[in-house]
Amino acid sequence: MKILIIEDEKELVRAIKNFLETEGFLCETAFSYFEAEDSLSAYIYDIIILDLTLPGGDGLNLIKLIKDRNRQAGLLIVSAKNSLDDKIKGLDMGADDYITKPFHLAELNSRIKSLARRQHFDGTNELIFNEIKINTDSNEVFISGTMLALTKKEYEILLYFIVNRNKVITRESIAEHVWGDNISYADNFDFIYCHIKNIRKKIELNNGRNYLHNIYGIGYKFSER
Amino acid sequence: MRLLQKTSRTYFLVSGTGFLIAGVVFYFVVSLFFKDQLNEKLHHDIKNISRTIMKNGTLPNYYPFIETREVSAQPEHSFKTIDTLIFDGFEKRKIPYRQISLITVINDKVYFIAARDTLIEEDDLLEVIAIVTGLVFVLLLVSLYFINRKLSLKIWQPFYKTLNELKEFSYEKPRFKLSSESQLYEFTELNKTLEKLTRKVITDYQSLKRFTEDASHEIQTPLAVIQSKLETLLQYPDLKKEQAELISSTYVYALRISKLTQTLLLLTKIANDQFPDKKAINLAELIREKIKMFEDHILEKQLTLNKDIDPDCFIETNFFLAESLIINLISNAVKHNVKSGTINITLDKNHLEISNSGEKPAVPTTKFFDRFYKTNESSDSPGLGLAIVKEICRLNKWEINYVFEENLHKVIIKF
Repeated sequence: MKILIIEDEKELVRAIKNFLETEGFLCETAFSYFEAEDSLSAYIYDIIILDLTLPGGDGLNLIKLIKDRNRQAGLLIVSAKNSLDDKIKGLDMGADDYITKPFHLAELNSRIKSLARRQHFDGTNELIFNEIKINTDSNEVFISGTMLALTKKEYEILLYFIVNRNKVITRESIAEHVWGDNISYADNFDFIYCHIKNIRKKIELNNGRNYLHNIYGIGYKFSER
Repeated sequence: MRLLQKTSRTYFLVSGTGFLIAGVVFYFVVSLFFKDQLNEKLHHDIKNISRTIMKNGTLPNYYPFIETREVSAQPEHSFKTIDTLIFDGFEKRKIPYRQISLITVINDKVYFIAARDTLIEEDDLLEVIAIVTGLVFVLLLVSLYFINRKLSLKIWQPFYKTLNELKEFSYEKPRFKLSSESQLYEFTELNKTLEKLTRKVITDYQSLKRFTEDASHEIQTPLAVIQSKLETLLQYPDLKKEQAELISSTYVYALRISKLTQTLLLLTKIANDQFPDKKAINLAELIREKIKMFEDHILEKQLTLNKDIDPDCFIETNFFLAESLIINLISNAVKHNVKSGTINITLDKNHLEISNSGEKPAVPTTKFFDRFYKTNESSDSPGLGLAIVKEICRLNKWEINYVFEENLHKVIIKF
């Protein structure tokens, strides 16, 4: 799957690119408005990550170009402005999702995969990790064919883990993903432990393996080890 | 008070006093002049009578206007003027007369000669003058009122037009042009000045907005780089515990700066009134939704939640601001609560009250709404939550109060 990252901060692009490439995405980059215009005119992309604040032009104008040239591409807007105007304008013009800077790479990854799923690029709405299968349309989780009864939040956390499998995910990133960025980071994270404990227990009860590893108390990693 | 009312009132007062003074003066002048004329006439009469007596030897008598008789008194050489009342047969009452009399010697005989004439009664004079001045006064006022009204409608019309256009003024509209044109110097100057002022307000506002956005971008982008690099660093498989902890604590502080700038920018935006879109918002629904967001925290602290919420409570405000307000209030009530404590939420059309159990505040509570105010210096939260709440209330012209009573921290907002 081909992704175009339109963002002027080179270091940020590098970090995003590295992260997404380990997820198996093919990433191309554009650092300015004009480079973006060039790339968009020449190639077709599956997903486009667009920072609205670009040297050389207003990112909002690029949305039109994207919608003309790459109609089927999933469009994720990135902005540091955190201004409601831009968000509403962007979504009105046809953007599929919106993320505010600074963001967690795991969150970006989760949004991109959700976009990809929504567009059925991989032809399925199922995520499979060994014996665990998640149907993202019906929000159901199966372990070796048995359905797992999860609460909404447990489901969201598990999905977040499986989307970001083999990656260290910080507690802050999980909290923000599930509870929104209005919950202060300074709070304790006991409520996350509680949900994770429940997920582990439910997977174990259904004879699933424990893939959830605690990483030095700073976060978790969902992997075979 | 409208301008027309004010000028009319002044006109009325000034001209009323003027007419009153003029009436009094008029009265005295007229009565003085009249008496003077009367005296002259009566003197003249007496001279005529004396001449008749001297020529004809007859005594003319025409009571009460002329009275002559022979007397045995000593002659006097000066006229004597008196005012007297004489009964009038027709009017059946006593009428005031002015009498000028003389005791004089004519043809060696002593005569008493008196000439009289009625005095116009002062009451009558007063009445006539009052009526006349009153009439003139009323006539003047009525004409002044109509002239004023017509003039002010016509002359002030561009002013009211400008005023109405100013009421529509908003920072958000890029162009502001006053449409009214007037021949009058004052109004053209006013419009010119207003246009200059509004242009400046708009450019200032836009540059401030631009600055806020740019500052946001300039701070958030490096933070995004830091955050993503740290997250990338965390992915290294052979990371040692000490290294991971170093990365983690750096990461947490980067997040904190990011959160802080976002909050400060939000405060600036509220202060600049950058949330113009208002609509009726169902606060009850919003509160229900936001409580759900915190249900894990509430459960974890084993808090009891008491709600007394009017389900159809619509408040006209900006949605984003209403959301921030509710989140901050509930978040505070959870954060500053004690284990197994309570949260009480009361909402009706006039007020919202959120209270929570907690330690008695050790410091004056008046500072609670200040920026960066912390009850506990070691706290990780920057202490901006209530400052945001206060700004939102100020913008919406809501009254906000904090009290600590019955071991409850209470925040009360009156819409």
